[in-house]
Amino acid sequence: MSTIHRGLTITVTLEENNIPAVNALLLQYRKDLSAEWEDYHQQLPGTFFISWLTLPSQMYADKEKLPARIVLMTSYTGKKNKHLRELAGFLGEKLTEIFKFSPEFPEDTLSFQALFRFLKQKSIPNTFYSGFKFIGAGDVENEKSLKKEILDHFSPLSKEGDLSGLSENAIKEKIENYVLQNPNLNWAKHRVKNKRRNKLAMLFPLILFGMVMLTSIVSLILCLFMDALFLKIMAFVFPVFLLGMVILFLLLRINEKNPHIPNEPISDEKVRQIVALEKNPVLNEMTVIAPLKQGWIRRAFLAVTLRLVALVGYFAYIPTVHTARWLQMDQGKRLVFIANFDNLSEAYAHDFVDSERRSMNMAVIFSHAFGFPATRWLVHKNYNHRSEYMKGVRAHQKITQFWYSFNNELSVENLKKNRKFREGLFQSMNKEEIRDWLLKI
Amino acid sequence: MTTLELKDIQGLLIRGHGQLPSAQYLLYRFGDAGKGKKYLRSILPFIANGDEKPDTRAYQLAFTFKGLEYLNLPTTALMSFSREFREGMTEANRQFILGDFHENSPENWEWGNEEIHLLLLVYARDAETLDEVLQEEAERAVLHQITLLHSLPTGFLLGQKEHFGFRDDISRPVIRELIGGKDLGHIPTFPAGEFIMGYKNLYDEYAPAPMVDPSDDINDLLPHNPDSKNLKDLGKNGTYLVFRQMSQNVFAFWEYLLAQGKTREEAIRLASKMVGRWPDGSPLVLCPENSDPSQSEANKFGYWEEDPNGLKCPIGAHIRRTNPRDHLVTERNKKDSSEMIAKHSMIRKGRPYGEPVADSMDPLEIIDKTEDHKERGLHFICMVTDIRRQFEFVQNNWVNFHKFGGLEHDADPIIGNHYQSENVVTDEFSMPAYPIKNRLKSLPNFTLIKGGAYFFFPGLNAIQFIADEK
Repeated sequence: MSTIHRGLTITVTLEENNIPAVNALLLQYRKDLSAEWEDYHQQLPGTFFISWLTLPSQMYADKEKLPARIVLMTSYTGKKNKHLRELAGFLGEKLTEIFKFSPEFPEDTLSFQALFRFLKQKSIPNTFYSGFKFIGAGDVENEKSLKKEILDHFSPLSKEGDLSGLSENAIKEKIENYVLQNPNLNWAKHRVKNKRRNKLAMLFPLILFGMVMLTSIVSLILCLFMDALFLKIMAFVFPVFLLGMVILFLLLRINEKNPHIPNEPISDEKVRQIVALEKNPVLNEMTVIAPLKQGWIRRAFLAVTLRLVALVGYFAYIPTVHTARWLQMDQGKRLVFIANFDNLSEAYAHDFVDSERRSMNMAVIFSHAFGFPATRWLVHKNYNHRSEYMKGVRAHQKITQFWYSFNNELSVENLKKNRKFREGLFQSMNKEEIRDWLLKI
Repeated sequence: MTTLELKDIQGLLIRGHGQLPSAQYLLYRFGDAGKGKKYLRSILPFIANGDEKPDTRAYQLAFTFKGLEYLNLPTTALMSFSREFREGMTEANRQFILGDFHENSPENWEWGNEEIHLLLLVYARDAETLDEVLQEEAERAVLHQITLLHSLPTGFLLGQKEHFGFRDDISRPVIRELIGGKDLGHIPTFPAGEFIMGYKNLYDEYAPAPMVDPSDDINDLLPHNPDSKNLKDLGKNGTYLVFRQMSQNVFAFWEYLLAQGKTREEAIRLASKMVGRWPDGSPLVLCPENSDPSQSEANKFGYWEEDPNGLKCPIGAHIRRTNPRDHLVTERNKKDSSEMIAKHSMIRKGRPYGEPVADSMDPLEIIDKTEDHKERGLHFICMVTDIRRQFEFVQNNWVNFHKFGGLEHDADPIIGNHYQSENVVTDEFSMPAYPIKNRLKSLPNFTLIKGGAYFFFPGLNAIQFIADEK
């Protein structure tokens, strides 16, 4: 089974006057969640996070009113259709109750199949990031218990000196024997399934892109010596891509010269409303939705960027982030960013601005959004980059009325450590590697 | 290189007044705005600036937001202060961020809940001089209808130690402009804007500062704000001062460690693991097995190469959490790590208070003493230009977040808020070791917050502006 993490985004328009009613319902669902959390856990076994919110209308380029919307965003593993069925099955009533406020929802009550089709039809693509790749929702609990059991069992032994004098290999063997003899941990004797296949599947688009470009370059050279139609066509691909990018950059540079319009400062009251929902002791959520800066080039450039970022998603790294996504809505006029991260948004936002390199990466996407800091050649900062960025995030941060998290206890670092410990079981290692592995406990 | 306007900066930002060992912190409330301003005008000539090193006495002054509001500072100016400062330390969300709940809840504090307006920090060369100063200040306060709410004594401990018996205040950030931009090799230096408003910070931006409308500055005391030329800079040469009274339960600390370690030597070893330095100050990273007095002031070390897994100095040790130097577990390289960490530095200027358990401050002697039920601790004072980015970030993300650095149930073992609730356990301390890590469990709170507030610590011209009748 695929354990590639994916993001599902479903959105429909909403009459502005229905926002309070939808918000009230979503907030009620959030309230009910503490009593229903176990059901969510059981019935949505492939779902890590659900963010569900209303988005008020926003002005684009000072002249176009972008519609109010309902936005449902989930992070999951496995196949999209299976995930949609899970959602339609377990949340069918709630989904119907909310989406029927939208003029896009059919008038009749929908059957399971019809609801499934509706959700599928209203889903839009996104560029997705996961900080704990290939760990399935079921693995989270198992791997946590595995580590705890081992620690609880071997800690006293180590304290009493029962492990002293044993070689690294002997200690590893003791741990592995304990796993084999403990029926609750027996599952851990099996290797993590499909790891290589999932990795390859995730890298496939990048490999394909690379191969097309490489083929084009080779074709370009071969065209000098051979006369074949395929070569002639392929020879165009790389230069066209390169030329396209150069043109995009030049047009962007022209657009960057437009005067920077800063965001209106957000009121204290709004900040308090946002942070009032950020009270989870381990991880929290943030949704930022902003109209883009004026000019079609911003929309086009961001669209290309998001596709290229998706290609290299496997290599991306944002510390403390469990999952994140970026996407464009309303013909590319809105940028949506959502992240599920460790601790509070204030701390998390610093992950982006406190490192030079990361603030450049961030500019690649956020510099296109209204009110976010102006740049030169996409990544070069202008004055007040940091404070403008922080203001931009807060100014466009939305209140997520409903948020569900499958895991409420483990940080992304905990998840990765637990996985590394599990992966090391029954693997041959040298002494140094075993010492390193034991530190994961 | 920018030159600091030392004559306009209050002296405490530049030096700790170590030459004036007797000190008292006075918390006041104004009784009348006009008289309050008059009080400020009368005390202004005595406030030490950064260009002098007083040898008899020194005064420093800071305001709460309520105090500035009471003195009728223009609304535009009031609203230009940072939200954290305006809300104050005891606001609900600030409490959450700072971990001020359960035992540390402000409702258990001795001060900080009531309306405080002014903090006067008084330093003197000896106890007699301090008594004289306090007497004069009592008279001055009465004369200007100012109520003294709390008078907090301080006292240095032998060997620059704190009450648990550990050498304190070794690592201090160095302001680049103060040393003329000199390269100090391993020791990182910081642009003034990290700690003093009106100068550029690590982001190459001017530190955010309160501003006033030029029409309100009738005596033309304030410079123009560098970012908003049509406004005057009330923050220039000032900063925010964070004050927290932290009570230390020395007997509970050593009793717990003795119970874990069985012998006094083992208790001291465990305590050193929790602190990250041996009692004499020598860092575990450089001296993992035994203390080394020759390293007691050592500050040239990092963790990235020397101890990435925390085998010498645990990841969760106090000094490693409050200043991770060059190593954040969540970062992939030393450069990013160091850049991130540098953005959260603070200048500390606090002093201990209360009688030491043992005058020698030797843990071996402290351990042998019996409970005396006396109040002692630390008046933690730090100065930052951005309360949220610097003080609150450290307090929230590094000190109290029990998942810091991949840990699971560990708040800072010394100053963290230790508790257990339905889904959260923060009272453990992990010490990476081969073959299996050691864990201390059910750590009580060894320190408790007894009071605290956010203050604005203005430049001298700004005090004059606040004191002027409009």
